[in-house]
Amino acid sequence: MEIRIQGVSKYYFSEGKTIKALDGVDLTIPANRIFTLLGPSGCGKTTLLRCIVGLEAPDTGEISIGDDVVWSKGKNISIAPEKRGLGMVFQTYAIWPHMNVFDNVAYPLQIRKLPRHVIRERVEKTLRFVRLEGFEKRPATKLSGGQQQRVALARALVAEPKVILFDEPLSNLDAKLREETRKELKTFLGKLKITAVYVTHDRVEALALSDTIAVMRAGEIVEVGSPQKIYFDADHEFVADFIGRANLIKATVRTQEAEHTVVDSGIGTIACQRRDFPIGSEVTLCLRPEFIRLARGEGAGGKNVVNGRVDSLVFVGEAYETEIRAGNELLLAKFDPDANLNEGDPVSFTLDPAHCLLVSI
Amino acid sequence: MDQSRSKLTYSLVIIVGFLTVCPVVMLTLGSFSEGLTAFGSFTLDKYIDAYTNPALFEVIVNTVIFVLGSSTLATVLALFLAYLNTRTDIPFKFLFRILSIIPMMIPHLLFSVSWALLLNPSNGMMNIVLKNALFLESAPFNIYSLWGMILVEGLLDLPIAYLIIAPAMASFDVALEESSRVFGAGTWRTLFRVTLPVLRPAILAAFILGVVRSLASFAVPSVIGMPGRVYVLATHLYEMIALGFATDYGKAAAVGMSVLATSVTLIFVYRALTAESEKYVTISGRGYRPTMVELKGARIPLFIVVALLSFIMIVLPVAVLFYTSLVPYTMVPSARAFSLMSWKHWIDVLHDPLSLLSLKNSLFLGVVGATLGVALSIFVAYVIVKVKTRASGVLESLSYLSFSFPGIVIGVGFMWFFVQTPLYATIWALLIGYIATYLPYGIRPLASAFIQVHAHLEESSLVCGASPLTTMRRIIVPLLIPGIVSAWILMATMFVRELTLSVVLSRPGTEVLAVQILRFADDGLWGKLSALGIIMIFISITLVILATLIGAKFRAVESGE
Repeated sequence: MEIRIQGVSKYYFSEGKTIKALDGVDLTIPANRIFTLLGPSGCGKTTLLRCIVGLEAPDTGEISIGDDVVWSKGKNISIAPEKRGLGMVFQTYAIWPHMNVFDNVAYPLQIRKLPRHVIRERVEKTLRFVRLEGFEKRPATKLSGGQQQRVALARALVAEPKVILFDEPLSNLDAKLREETRKELKTFLGKLKITAVYVTHDRVEALALSDTIAVMRAGEIVEVGSPQKIYFDADHEFVADFIGRANLIKATVRTQEAEHTVVDSGIGTIACQRRDFPIGSEVTLCLRPEFIRLARGEGAGGKNVVNGRVDSLVFVGEAYETEIRAGNELLLAKFDPDANLNEGDPVSFTLDPAHCLLVSI
Repeated sequence: MDQSRSKLTYSLVIIVGFLTVCPVVMLTLGSFSEGLTAFGSFTLDKYIDAYTNPALFEVIVNTVIFVLGSSTLATVLALFLAYLNTRTDIPFKFLFRILSIIPMMIPHLLFSVSWALLLNPSNGMMNIVLKNALFLESAPFNIYSLWGMILVEGLLDLPIAYLIIAPAMASFDVALEESSRVFGAGTWRTLFRVTLPVLRPAILAAFILGVVRSLASFAVPSVIGMPGRVYVLATHLYEMIALGFATDYGKAAAVGMSVLATSVTLIFVYRALTAESEKYVTISGRGYRPTMVELKGARIPLFIVVALLSFIMIVLPVAVLFYTSLVPYTMVPSARAFSLMSWKHWIDVLHDPLSLLSLKNSLFLGVVGATLGVALSIFVAYVIVKVKTRASGVLESLSYLSFSFPGIVIGVGFMWFFVQTPLYATIWALLIGYIATYLPYGIRPLASAFIQVHAHLEESSLVCGASPLTTMRRIIVPLLIPGIVSAWILMATMFVRELTLSVVLSRPGTEVLAVQILRFADDGLWGKLSALGIIMIFISITLVILATLIGAKFRAVESGE
C-alpha cells in the first residue's frame, strides 16, 4: 500500500525552546517496495516512522496509508496505532520476556481472535519463513541477538500486514551478524508483496537494502531517489557527503559543454557530469575516493588528468588509502593494494567526468 | 493521554503529600500547642520544658554513643564480610547471601529479646552457663547496658550495611590496586591509600544509613536499654507518651522535631552519597575478573568466624525463642529442662484473647495494608519512572521523604492528626500510618520493575493490534508481577512485625503482635512471648511463600496460553 505524508510537522518543547523534529514533510512512499529513511541521529527519521505507525501524533498535516486517512489535523482524524493494522520491528526488538517464541509471534493473531488451529498454522508458517522452526517453546529471552531479531520480524509479519516498519532493526547486532541479517532481511522482503519503511543512520545498510532512499536532515527530506542516484548523482552536498566518503572541493563553473560542465578548481580545470549551473556560479565538486584512478606513465595527457604527490599512505588490507596533495587540495584516494607507491612519490591520476559530481553548496 | 497522566500525577502528589507531609506538619504544630485536647493554642512551653529537662543531656550522650557505636560495628563487620566474599577464596560463599537476607525476616524485637534471654544479668542462659563453668561470683555479662545495645543494634544493621558495601566492592576495579602495588606501595598502604578511599562513598552511605536506623530503633532501646535504665531519645520519647501519669504529646513533639530534623538531614546526605558512589563504580567491562586473595592458613579460621556469625544472626535467636516457648520458666538446657518441656505457653497464648486480637489485627494490617500499599506504590512508581514532569519529580522526593522518618516520632505526628479525626484508636489509623511510613519499600521494587518495562514492549503490543487495556493485561502487568510480589512481601512482613509506629498509635482494641510481645517482655512472660514470637515469624514466612506462589501462578497462566 502506498503511504502519503503531506505537510507533517512535529514540535517538541524543551527548556522553553521549540525543537522542530519534523518540519513540513511531504513524502510519498510507493507500494510494495523497500523505502529507507536515512539520516544522522536527531534528523527526525524515527519520529516520522512513529508518526506513520501512530505512536506519535504530528502537530500538522495528514498521513494516509492506502485509501485510509490515519491522521489528519484538518479533518480531525486520529486512528490509534492498534487500529492501523501495521507490522513493526523495534530497535530493541521489544520481544516480550515473559512469553516464549510461539506466544510472541502468535500475539497479533490472538488479539484478532483467530481460531487456535489457524494461529498454530500461521505461526508455524511464519517461523519457517524466518528459519526459526523448532524454536516455538524456547523462552524468547534465551535466544541470540540475531534470532531475537527474526522473532521480531516474524511477529511483525504473522498478521500479513500490507505495511511493515523497521526502526534501526540491525543497530544492536555486531558487525558480522549485521551484514548477514541484512542480506537475510533483503531476501525475506523480496519474497513478500509488502511495503517496507526502514529507518537507519547506516549508509551501507540503506544502499544495500533499499529500492528508494530518502535522506533527511533537521526534520526535512533533503533528497529522494534510488541508491545509485543518491550515491552517484546526489543533488546536494549534504547528501553526497553523508552517503559515502567524498572529497569535496570548491569550484567555479567555467563553461557548459554539450555533455560536460567544466569547472575551475584547486586541482585544475575539470570536466564534470553535466549539471545546469549558470556560468561563474560557485559549486562543490564531489569526488569519491574509489573513482580516483592512477594514470600509468608519467604525466599522461588528455582530459581530467591531475598531477600530485603522495602525502601519506595507509595500508588497510583490500586497498591503500592514500592522501594526495594536488594543487592546494588534499585528496583521499583508494588505490589497489598492489600499486607500488611510496610516500613522496609523484603521481598522476585521471577522473572520469561521469564520476565528477557537481552539487550545490 | 497526556492530560489524564498529569491528572494522575497531581492526585498522587496530593495523596502521597498528605501521607508524608501531614504527620510532619502536625508534629510541628503539635510541638507548639498546649496539648492534644488544646490543639492550635500557641505556646513555646513545650520546647522550654523539653529542652531544659536535666535528664535530656544524658539521654543525648547515650543516643550519640549508641548510634555511632552500633553503626560503626555494623559497617566494620559489613566491610569485613564483603571483602571476604568478593575478594578472597573463602569457602561456602552462599553463606554470605543467606547472611545478608535471612536476618531481615527475624523481627528486631525478637532478636533483641533472644539476646536478653541469653545475656541478662539475673538469669541469662549464657551467663548462667559461664558462671557455673568458671565458678564466678556473678554473671560475667550484662546485656542491659550501652555496650549490649550497641552489640545487638550493630548486628541488626549488619545486613543492610552489607547490601550497600558488597556491590560496591564487587564492582571495584582491581587495576586501581594493582597499579598502586606496581608503584611500590605495600598491601596495607594500598588498602588505606587506594581501596578504602575509592570505596568511601559506599562505606559512608552504609554508616549513615546505620545511624538513621539506630536513631529510629525502638526494639533494642526498649528491650535491652530500658531494663538497665539506659535511655536514648526513642525511649525518652516513649516514656513521655506511654509511661507515667501525665503523658505529654506536646513535649514529645518538641523533642521529636530535632530527631526528625537530624534524620531528614542524614537521609539527604545519604542520597547524595549513593549518587556519588554510583559515579565511583568502576566496572571495566571487558575481561574483568577480580584477583582473589588466597587466604591460605587463615581460610578455615576466617570461615569459622563467618559461620559463627551466621549462627548468631539466624539460628541462635530462633532456637532460643523456640526453646523458651517450651520450658516452664527460664532455665539452662539440661535433661531436666527437656523433661519439663510442654506446649503450655503455646496453648496459653492461643487462648489469650488479647494475643488473638493482636494476631488478627496484625494479619489484617499485613494483608490489607500491603495490598493497598502496593496498589498505591504501583501508580506512584509508574509516574516516577514513566512520566517525566516537574510534578513527578516532586512526587519522587515526597515519596522518599518517609524513608527518613523515625517511626516513633512520626507516630507522635500522626497521633496529633488522628486525635482530630474519627480515625483515632481505630485499626485504620495504624493502616494509614504504616502505609505512609513504609511507602518507599513498596515503591522501590516497583520502580525498578517499571524501568525494566521498556516503552517498546508496550508500543509493539499496540502496533500488533492490542488495545491499551489488553496491553496492560497481557504485557505490562505480567512483566510487573515479580516487582509487585517483592513489594508486597516487603510491605506485608514489615507490617506484621511493625513496632515503633504501633507503640504510639495502638490503643486498647487495636493491639498488634509487636505491641503485645513488648507487653509480655515488660511483664517478664518470656514463655508466652516466645510462643507468640515464633507465631509471628511463622506468619511472615507463610506470607512470603503465599505471595511467591501466587506470583508464580500468574506467570504460569500467561505462558500457558
